[in-house]
Amino acid sequence: MGIYILRRSLYALALLFVISLVVFVLFASLPFDPASLTCGKNCTADVIEANRIRLGYDLPLWEQYLKFLQGIVSGREYGHGVAAFSCPAPALGYSFFKQECVTSLLITALPPTIWLALGSVTLWVGTGVLLGIWAARRRGGAPDHIINVLTVFATSMPTFLTGQMALTFLIGKFGLIPPPDYYEPYQDFPKFFMTMLLPWIILALPGLAIYARLTRGFVLETGSEDFVRTARAKGLPEKTILWRHTLRPALSPLTTLAAMDLAFMLGGAVVTEKIFSIPGLGRLTIQSVIEYDLPVIVGTTMLAATFIVVANLIVDILYSVIDPRVRLK
Amino acid sequence: MARKKLGVKISAVLAVSALLVSACSSSSTDDGKGGTVTYLTHAEKFLHLDPQRNYTGQDLAFSVTYLTRSLVSYNTAEGAAGTELVADLATDTGTPSEDLKTWTFTLRDGVTFEDGSPITCAEVAYGVSRSYAADLTDGPAFAEAFLDIEGGAAAYPGPYEATAEQQALFDQAVECSEDGKTITFHLNTPMADFNYTTALLTFSPVPLDEGGNVGEAYDQNIVSSGPYKIDSYTPGKSLNLVRNENWNPDSDDFRKALPDKVVVKFAQDEKGIDEYIINGTGPGKTALSLDGIYPDNLEAVFSSADMENRRLNDYDIYVTYTAINVSKMTCLPIRQAVFYATDREALRALGGGSQFGGDFADGVIKPATLPTDYKAVTGYEDAKPEGNAEKAIELMNQAKTECPDEYKRVTTEGITRDYVDSDVSRQGFAITQEALAKAGIKLEANFIDGGSYYGVILNPETQGDLSAAGWGPDWLNASTVIPPLFIENGGFDVSRAQYDPKYEEFKALVDAAKANPDRASQGEQWAALNQFVMDQMWVLPGLFTKTQYHWGSNLTGVYLWAPYGCPGFNDIGVKK
Repeated sequence: MGIYILRRSLYALALLFVISLVVFVLFASLPFDPASLTCGKNCTADVIEANRIRLGYDLPLWEQYLKFLQGIVSGREYGHGVAAFSCPAPALGYSFFKQECVTSLLITALPPTIWLALGSVTLWVGTGVLLGIWAARRRGGAPDHIINVLTVFATSMPTFLTGQMALTFLIGKFGLIPPPDYYEPYQDFPKFFMTMLLPWIILALPGLAIYARLTRGFVLETGSEDFVRTARAKGLPEKTILWRHTLRPALSPLTTLAAMDLAFMLGGAVVTEKIFSIPGLGRLTIQSVIEYDLPVIVGTTMLAATFIVVANLIVDILYSVIDPRVRLK
Repeated sequence: MARKKLGVKISAVLAVSALLVSACSSSSTDDGKGGTVTYLTHAEKFLHLDPQRNYTGQDLAFSVTYLTRSLVSYNTAEGAAGTELVADLATDTGTPSEDLKTWTFTLRDGVTFEDGSPITCAEVAYGVSRSYAADLTDGPAFAEAFLDIEGGAAAYPGPYEATAEQQALFDQAVECSEDGKTITFHLNTPMADFNYTTALLTFSPVPLDEGGNVGEAYDQNIVSSGPYKIDSYTPGKSLNLVRNENWNPDSDDFRKALPDKVVVKFAQDEKGIDEYIINGTGPGKTALSLDGIYPDNLEAVFSSADMENRRLNDYDIYVTYTAINVSKMTCLPIRQAVFYATDREALRALGGGSQFGGDFADGVIKPATLPTDYKAVTGYEDAKPEGNAEKAIELMNQAKTECPDEYKRVTTEGITRDYVDSDVSRQGFAITQEALAKAGIKLEANFIDGGSYYGVILNPETQGDLSAAGWGPDWLNASTVIPPLFIENGGFDVSRAQYDPKYEEFKALVDAAKANPDRASQGEQWAALNQFVMDQMWVLPGLFTKTQYHWGSNLTGVYLWAPYGCPGFNDIGVKK
């Protein structure tokens, strides 16, 4: 088992290395001159050249990448003379637009995204599964039809639309909910909760609908298995059959899916964070794309990739625990 | 100074400098003391609060009002009174030598930073020296342009890297008296209006240790000399200002410091901002939008009786234009044909029409901004808002004889116009392409992302034949318009006028105007030079633009502050 975990971890590290190389080369080959982008006004050829040297873009690409990797391990120095400063390891670069080390920007943006992701994933998985079970138990009945219609409606409404409408009407026009802001939960929990409630709901709606439909399908499918029929023949109560025998196998694939969804969400929910002024990774990414802030784009991409790779690693390890045959493959 | 890019509001406008005059609507003012004033913006942060890097009209106005004092400033009043220069850190608006090459300012007693440490000429000189540092980008380069340092900016790299010898060069150009009270600037050219330059925050003080946040780090940790100080600054979230207990009102003639707190909320949804202000929800009642009004809401705001006393629509400081690259378009009749053929009315409609977009410009000097320097341009009375294709064809026929090679290029290969990439500019291109085609001129577009735009059009090798541009004066003198736009290496000389055979004649006239100490006759010279520019058709004038703002029902004292073309923050207070 230990060797398996070590092997998978090494694969994950190698994958991250390849991703970092691809992302770095990809952005380096974009038709933008980073030195010009940070030039601003009073832009002359001399200023652009000075910027190029200051930012290290005068170096060959392989050397820039090497410095990038070195920065991750040992940090990096920037600036000149008494105005010199450093980004401590793991340094993913420095944003001259935001005047902050990329790692520090990521650390600041990560908690809001984590809270947003945790809240919305919990909401959509929890509610979605419950609705799915309810619909399955009332198959063909009114609740099933209602949930079916609602889930189609929820999946067909894009987040940018529901978010903008909620902001405009519930907050802007009628003032029913406090305006968007972000509070750390340990600083002011009631305000944190009130300002996150709407983003959680808006972000959860499409996922909730999908999980409800999936759960309904899995429960119905498992319900027709032989072992469930046997349980029913033994005279077990319906509740026991549902919670002990039907749900456990039905929910296994949903658990994997939820873990992957959570990992994906941790990369940032761009639209929701933008509409509701949540200073998370999604907004940081989109802002950096607008500004062509390449070091931050590379940093956010690397972080999102890391979440996916780590989530895959955890799922793989869990699978190996559940099914030892996986370890042998 | 530059105009902040308002993504959705302004598309093809690029502006690099600043100033204005003009009356505007305002709400009634009570004493407005106390409370919290909230500013809402979709921006993630202020572009720069570091005084030596701050060069955006509204950001400058905000900093000047709340955080950073300079040697002189502008009177905070509505209309033309707002353009008067007043003493700030200095006891007066400066004293020039007879030859106008030396300017002296004496500092007031009792001026301090937020930690109570006194502001002396050493801190002012240090601040000015920072504007030379290559690491501190985006600020205006007037100190570099005007201070008498042998070898210019190349000889002095700023305080962080300067050797003792290099620092001595700067110290000779900017002298600080032993008692710390008097600062003297030695200039490389006579300047009658140098004191206006010192209203820019380039000439504001910075503590010698920069409050422990040297260089780039100072931008988010500035040490205040104004009536408020930073309590917290979180880009992407908010800037919170509280009263600076060490600000001495007796040392300040004009700052009113009305609210107890000032809050700027960043990263707000643009449509959401309007909803709060219009409906009085959220922070809306005591809020003003720093982004102006969302274009979709302009009609609603200006037709609503409820909004009557809390909106303004007035001329800002900017002129939009299309720079004609004279190095590529050397034929005057063709340049004029492009002007006559252009459908200006359709282009203006894209920018909000006459009500919100502005008036057709007839040159680069805006009458509302520079009344002393403006005179209506003549000679183009037959130009029509919708374009005069007949006249354009006539000029193209003339070009066919006078400049056949360029005629051939323009009609076959075509000319390229540089645009900041946006939906509006793509629509603008389609309109112009169709209009120019009527005169046989083939137009192509080069759509460039906003971040790269300056770099592309300022580079002669990458600039097209025509480039979208905009400008506002840095102070109330066309000396900050005509020379930077049309003199070689003037700063934004994208018309490349030096390739025109008449350039030397033009340059001599500019030099004469700059050296003229008599403001009235100097104004006439600038007006004549504006006419010269249009006679040579170095630009296709666009609009004398307007701006719109709205604010919450509990705010008082909002008006357009002429020098910066944005709300006068100093008088904004909260109703009791």
